[in-house]
Amino acid sequence: MANIKDIFVLIKQVPDQGAKAGINPDGTIDRAKAKRMLNPFDRYALQAALHMKKKYGGNVTAITMGPPLAVEILLEALEHGVDMCYLLTDKRLAASDTLATAYALHKVIKHAGHFDLIFCGLQTTDGDTAQVGPQIAERLNLSQATYCEDFKIEENKVIAKRVVEGGYEWIKMEPPALITVANSYHPLEYKSLRGARMVQQLLRNESEKAKYIKTINLDDISADPLKCGLKGSPTIVARTDKVSEIGGNCKIYQGAPVEKMVHELIVSTNVSEFLKT
Amino acid sequence: MNNETKTLKEIITPSNKEVIVIAEQLNNDVRPVTVELLGAGRDLANKLGGKLSCVLLGYELKSLPEKLISYGADIVYVADDPVLKNYQTLPYRRVIVDFLSGFPLPPHIVLLGSTTTGRDLAPRIAAHFETGLTADCTELDIGPYEHTSKGDPEKLGLYPGCLYAIRPSFGESLKARILGPWKNPQMASVRPGIMVPLQPDNNRKGEIKKIPVSLKPEDYKIELIEIVHEVSKSVNLSEADVIVSGGFGIGKPEGFEIMKELASCFENSAVGASRKIVDIGWVPYQHQVGQTGKTVRPKVYIACGISGAIQHRVGMSKSGLIIAINKDPDAPIFKFAHHGIVGDLYQIIPELIKEFKLNKAKEVRSLV
Ligand SMILES: Cc1cc2nc3c(=O)[nH]c(=O)nc-3n(C[C@H](O)[C@H](O)[C@H](O)COP(=O)(O)OP(=O)(O)OC[C@H]3O[C@@H](n4cnc5c(N)ncnc54)[C@H](O)[C@@H]3O)c2cc1C
Repeated sequence: MANIKDIFVLIKQVPDQGAKAGINPDGTIDRAKAKRMLNPFDRYALQAALHMKKKYGGNVTAITMGPPLAVEILLEALEHGVDMCYLLTDKRLAASDTLATAYALHKVIKHAGHFDLIFCGLQTTDGDTAQVGPQIAERLNLSQATYCEDFKIEENKVIAKRVVEGGYEWIKMEPPALITVANSYHPLEYKSLRGARMVQQLLRNESEKAKYIKTINLDDISADPLKCGLKGSPTIVARTDKVSEIGGNCKIYQGAPVEKMVHELIVSTNVSEFLKT
Repeated sequence: MNNETKTLKEIITPSNKEVIVIAEQLNNDVRPVTVELLGAGRDLANKLGGKLSCVLLGYELKSLPEKLISYGADIVYVADDPVLKNYQTLPYRRVIVDFLSGFPLPPHIVLLGSTTTGRDLAPRIAAHFETGLTADCTELDIGPYEHTSKGDPEKLGLYPGCLYAIRPSFGESLKARILGPWKNPQMASVRPGIMVPLQPDNNRKGEIKKIPVSLKPEDYKIELIEIVHEVSKSVNLSEADVIVSGGFGIGKPEGFEIMKELASCFENSAVGASRKIVDIGWVPYQHQVGQTGKTVRPKVYIACGISGAIQHRVGMSKSGLIIAINKDPDAPIFKFAHHGIVGDLYQIIPELIKEFKLNKAKEVRSLV
């Protein structure tokens, strides 16, 4: 059977853009006030890691980097059935761009020990870069497959289906490998009863919780602080301009008889006039 | 405060001022995004006073280098080798990393398409050189930057000739200008379908230079076993004034007929589709709108039974008027459409067709 046993999954806590809380008038986010959630793209990565475990056995370790509150998404991952978690948290990580983030995370991965496969979400909803996964793969010298919507293991090789322009391609990789999981993969299933019960217990017992969630800082993983945070980031956001509201701009027609809604739509959009411009 | 900025010292980060576009080719033709990048790159190179070059990897590339020159490249660097026939992360990475390492002074800017290839490759190259990379840009420019932030005093200074990498962020509600003038090359991936190519000119002169391919054993760790590409015939999506697009909500392949009927209510219209119904074979690929399909910008875009996934959105968000029909009031498409009807498309579309036809008839009558 497959020798691919140690699976890491990288996840991130992001502001919930659906909730209006913490969105400044200029469109930027106040991370302290915003509602928090597991990055929606990471739900697919988490499901992929759990599917692998179910199919081929092994252990799943979830890794995140963020403020102490990011422990929330690790607890959520435990409820879904991961075995172990790492939280990298350190003030010196503030303002990390993708290069600095990938540097720090690759250090956590080295610290966390042996792995065969790393799953990442496609991208995050607060960065939308899709860069951190491949940047980690570069640092660790790994095989990589991005935009994957299916995978399996055959004769100790990882076979992955990549979504590409005009179709897809199948590639075969030698582990260790990093896979970014497409949002066309299976949605995350419900929490496991066992996981949920365990998390209930951990919440009552700090020392037990520390066994499942290892909280570490830059010194614990011998990371160079100059390669992290603002100092380690070659890019900065020099300015932002608001272009539209997040949601709320759409005129919705709902609940009325179809003829009425359609008529209202046609009157208020005035499509034929619009087309003349 | 002004006094302070005036005393900022000018800092020039070493570079040879070259702007390099990494080409994408498939079946011996360059992808549209490559000529778009050459159009954008030409402008940047002119502003910097440097050369525009293009790196082309592939096999049996024939006259493609000349084509790239006709689209604006001053130099085309070519790696023509059987292992490079199709894109594969590690061999492509090796050749490009070796190539970029060979300059005595680094190039100023490196651009890739924000495609599944460009976004696979660019972060590897950027991480290798530990340089900045901005994803999925929709505008590029060159300009100065005054860094006055006290957070990292060693970077204080006035930097001329920075790449302004401008991209939508935070669910496309913000436009962010991202800079990284401290190290060259400054890298960006650029969204397909946005930049404007130059008119090809076969009289343009340029140089073609071969670059070496020397792979290491570890570059063969990934093997491409199968490619399934639908060859796309063109459908006039890019020029249409009105696009009616169908998604998985149409429920069955025949559902596409009603899209066509709705589209036929308008002159210069076309029908589009989400990737999901292309993948399951209900509609041919040439209709696909989105990141891995076409980027469109019609005056009116009518999305029927499409949830509004980010990859669909990036292909149509610049449309003038977006109308969505979806039975789920929480569908993400309602977050960025301008008008949305909540309901069953099989009830709504026939009614729309009726109304649009009626409107047309009225118009005709008023003309008589
Ligand atoms: C790398 C990558 C590239 C991609 N590229 C693209 C791309 O180029 N283009 C693209 O479109 N996608 C692309 N995708 C896929 C994308 O993520 C989504 O999976 C896809 O867009 C979903 O298609 P859909 O909206 O048709 O289907 P679904 O998400 O299943 O949505 C169907 C919608 O129809 C609604 N509905 C159902 N029945 C009815 C009814 N009777 N009346 C009205 N509404 C109804 C539902 O409420 C739902 O919102 C890509 C994905 C990846 C990972």
